Amino acid sequence: MRKPSSYQIEIALIRFVPHLLLFLALLALWEIAVLTGFITSIIIPRPSAIIGAIVELYVTKGTIYSHFFITLTEAVVGFAIGAIVAVTLAVWSSLSEGFKRYVSPYAIVLNVTPGIALTPIIIAWFGYGMGSKIALAAVICFFPIFVNTLTGLLHRDEDREELFRSVGATKYQIFLKLRVPAALPLLFAGFKIGLTTALIGAVVAEFAQATSGVGVLMSRFSFQLNMAASLATLLSMTVIGLLLFYAMEILDDRIVFWRRDTRMATVSRARARAWLAKSGE
Amino acid sequence: MSLQQGTVQGMPSVVAGMSLRRRRILIHATIFIALLVLWETGSRMGWLDPLFYPRPSAILTSFWVLFFGSGHIWYHLYVTLGLVLMGWIGGSLLGVGLGALVGFNPLVRRFLKPYVIVLEATPRIAVAPLLIAALGFGATSKIAIIVLVCFFAPFINTLSGVVNVDPSRMELFRSMRATKMQVLRKLVLPDAIPVIMAGERLAMTAALSGALVAEFIQRDKGIGSLILTYTRNLNMASAFACIFTLTIIGFLIFKGMELADHRIAYWKNEAGMKRIGDRRRRAMSEQGRG
Repeated sequence: MRKPSSYQIEIALIRFVPHLLLFLALLALWEIAVLTGFITSIIIPRPSAIIGAIVELYVTKGTIYSHFFITLTEAVVGFAIGAIVAVTLAVWSSLSEGFKRYVSPYAIVLNVTPGIALTPIIIAWFGYGMGSKIALAAVICFFPIFVNTLTGLLHRDEDREELFRSVGATKYQIFLKLRVPAALPLLFAGFKIGLTTALIGAVVAEFAQATSGVGVLMSRFSFQLNMAASLATLLSMTVIGLLLFYAMEILDDRIVFWRRDTRMATVSRARARAWLAKSGE
Repeated sequence: MSLQQGTVQGMPSVVAGMSLRRRRILIHATIFIALLVLWETGSRMGWLDPLFYPRPSAILTSFWVLFFGSGHIWYHLYVTLGLVLMGWIGGSLLGVGLGALVGFNPLVRRFLKPYVIVLEATPRIAVAPLLIAALGFGATSKIAIIVLVCFFAPFINTLSGVVNVDPSRMELFRSMRATKMQVLRKLVLPDAIPVIMAGERLAMTAALSGALVAEFIQRDKGIGSLILTYTRNLNMASAFACIFTLTIIGFLIFKGMELADHRIAYWKNEAGMKRIGDRRRRAMSEQGRG
């Protein structure tokens, strides 16, 4: 990694300042609107009240953390299960025409059914604990991943495939070295959508019936009409969402390095160095 | 409609004589029926607890009862679909309007971007309890939830449709001295409308999910509350009948939106191009005669 020069930092700061000012101005306007009674504080609390609730939830009491990690675990485990099943089925479908033909109708039915409708049934099946949240997350994140992986794998570059065949590549090699790399960008796009939907699944299942998790916390605060705490809890969901999204973005960047010029340059430099070191021995 | 005539070795003689299409339908039906029979016998033999995993025959029966016997479901269907429609209209108007506003305005775009990223990462459905607390029980808060859940896809798609204009074509338009209105009508919109329509499709699906969640939280009426009530009473067959109803609705919505997409963005598909082309040709020849 190159260190950014002081000049670059300065530019970043100059760009950042107007954003910050606007944000603070909005907060001030909001605070004044509530203080003067223009907005009812029961419905929309003051920013200072929200900040107070955030401090209480995250710093002084720290109530949020256990719930935060429960929801995060539910979303991630559900996503992992959904993704494994989806990718397996997609790979199988891309390899076997027959399998694809006879499985795709069921995948389509699953897609047009709003997965969230299954919430009560899944809770009846898997109980009130984390199991039902994981199951719902897995069910609703399945489809975007399946479709993206399958689309990626079915897209064929005829010219390249011909090249592969002409140099005597086996079917296995064509699949692993040509079709899988071509499918990876779409696969990751599917993963990103899937993670967001998995989080939605976990939270909705928590709304329906649960004892812990940010969804429970959120609905509890809302029904107490403690809007500030409720918004502070919402913030934790945003944090989970951003965390998951950027984790996937980093993985995407590392694994599909050839899609971005800077990463491509870094990787090829590293490879060249390794190659030089080897030939120098 | 036979795609291909031919026989396959090793197939039973009855099947081998059919067209490929018919044969495939037959295999699909066979697999489906086999699955149903397996499920039914599994339930009857006691491998699956019928209390939690209702039999296909029981689901069919409750389907019949819900729709034609008691006709209990119609009212709830009407309520839910009304909510979905109103929320979707509100959400897509808001989304397209905001998307266009932001898309045409680089300054607004720059300052709105961080908020959009934050909003995108938040599971928007999570705001449901908040909105109910703020707006009270009833249709208003439900519609507000649906609007919030479904406005995002049209917003993002309108934004990207309006922003992603082919630069070389833009240059061509400029060099021919096209007015702003002409650029909008002849260059920006033709490329943006299919993208916006794709956003509307996503919004419709999201609206249905949003309505269900809203009804799960305040269960007074609607399909969502019906499913919840049936499940609580362990009347799983009826719950499943409701879910399959939603499958049908989802499918109809999907097909309907596809049809609307083909009609509105006709220049993106051959059939639409042909239809409009024929109409214009006819109009032109009539004009020539007149």
